[in-house]
Amino acid sequence: MLLVDNITVSLQDRRVINGLSCQFAAGEFWGIIGQNGAGKSTFLQCLAGLLRPEQGQVMVDGVDIHQLDPLSRAQKMAYLMQEQEPSLAFSVAQAVEMGRYPWPDDPENRYRLTQQALIDCRIKDLQDRSILKLSGGERRKVELATCLAQHSDYLLLDEPFNHLDVVYQRFLVKKLKTLSREKTVIMVCHDLDVVAQYCSHVLMLLSDDCYLSGDSATMLKPTNLDKLFDEPH
Amino acid sequence: MHTKQWLMKPWVWILLLFLMLLISMAVGSVSVPLSQLFNADSITYSIVWQLRLPRAFNAMLVGGCLALAGLLIQNLVKNPLADPYLLGVSGGAASCQLLVIMLGLSLTAEALFLVGFAGSLVATLLVLKLSYHGHIRPNKVTLNGVVMAFGFAAIISFMLSLADGQQIRSMMFWLMGDLSFAQPSWLMLVVLALCYGLLRRQHSALDLLARGELFARKSGVHAERLNLMIFIMVALLTSMAVAQAGTIGFVGLIIPHIVRLMVGYQHRHLLSVTVLAGALFLLIADTLARTVLSPIQLPVGIFTALVGVPVFLFLSRKI
Repeated sequence: MLLVDNITVSLQDRRVINGLSCQFAAGEFWGIIGQNGAGKSTFLQCLAGLLRPEQGQVMVDGVDIHQLDPLSRAQKMAYLMQEQEPSLAFSVAQAVEMGRYPWPDDPENRYRLTQQALIDCRIKDLQDRSILKLSGGERRKVELATCLAQHSDYLLLDEPFNHLDVVYQRFLVKKLKTLSREKTVIMVCHDLDVVAQYCSHVLMLLSDDCYLSGDSATMLKPTNLDKLFDEPH
Repeated sequence: MHTKQWLMKPWVWILLLFLMLLISMAVGSVSVPLSQLFNADSITYSIVWQLRLPRAFNAMLVGGCLALAGLLIQNLVKNPLADPYLLGVSGGAASCQLLVIMLGLSLTAEALFLVGFAGSLVATLLVLKLSYHGHIRPNKVTLNGVVMAFGFAAIISFMLSLADGQQIRSMMFWLMGDLSFAQPSWLMLVVLALCYGLLRRQHSALDLLARGELFARKSGVHAERLNLMIFIMVALLTSMAVAQAGTIGFVGLIIPHIVRLMVGYQHRHLLSVTVLAGALFLLIADTLARTVLSPIQLPVGIFTALVGVPVFLFLSRKI
């Protein structure tokens, strides 16, 4: 259970999130929607324990996330960043293996789980290529595979479908749906059709510190969607 | 990936280092046949064991420290143009040591080492203070380091313009790097070994850090702590190298790049090969510096660039 209790977050003196509470349980597939700058990515970073809220707290399985040491935190939380930072030219297999960092594997196991993640994400044929020589979509797949190799209880994904082709988008969203039977999957997504069709729950970030959350059938009713679309831009 | 398996083996580098050590023992203003190396009665015996060997040992230590510091600082600030002197170390050390030379104080080599070491630590702490807000901000390190370097360059130029002819010569030697005075320092060997040991245990974390600070944090690395550890190590390794041998350029900048081209990007291999390659490189450069125009000895800094540039350009064709 991931519990967000009344958090307030500011970035560079701008209050991005003010008094947001929500809870996420295993077996749920969440979609977070909202306009650009509404605080979706900031919220996801708070969930991942990478950003400390000024007020309120994030409790993961009954423990404040900032009480956890970085390794145990990464065993629980896998986080897919919106854009990857510039990096050195590691090979795809080396990059995906980095997802195993939080776990004390023996080399054999590490190799096996890395290979499994490469196969699961359909990028085994890329494994010896340099990550700097991939297309945008291919790099995205590598980052996804890295997150999946982490075998965490919670998957936090910031716009996972960016740069991906339509075939892979469909493959991925079905995969996430399957994963969400055992894990908690939380993704920021701008595609309402995808959210409506696959997500079990929705969190809507509106302006004036208004946050709505609930199961997707209720949340995506016209009355709620009107609030999203009637917002000033 | 153009990595070569055999280059990843440390023993290959140790073998090369040993061969180069033998060569550098044999050549110089007095050439010594290899067969005479162990003959205790000859004059050459004392030349080799009291002059050349300590100097070669010194070159290897300084080279290893600078190369390792270069690898670390490039990882910390994520900038391929960063070199160990970015932290203001060289400016701080050089300013203090040149001041001593200019004032005509006749200090022992050890005292001069301590003066340089103190100067560089003060400069580094200043950069750290300016770049530290709860944790190290790597981009501020770059900016503050570069600005500080300009400040120290001005102080050094000021002192050079006031110095007389004889002083200028010894100062220039110092600024271009010089291995001829110093005795090898055991402290340096211990610090280098300690840093290497600590880093070896963190090699996976260093890989993750190379992919970005946020990436490392989200993957479970205590990035703030690792960055601080790197900063302190770079400061220590570079201060010692500068205090020992002046500001030898290019080793810390180019060796990490050359080694990455040869063995890839994983710190599992990078750490040991960088230290050994740095040692080998400076030993070659120093051997050239004292033999090319022998008996005149040239500053080793000239040769680090003269040897390093072609090697790097040759390897970088593949990038």
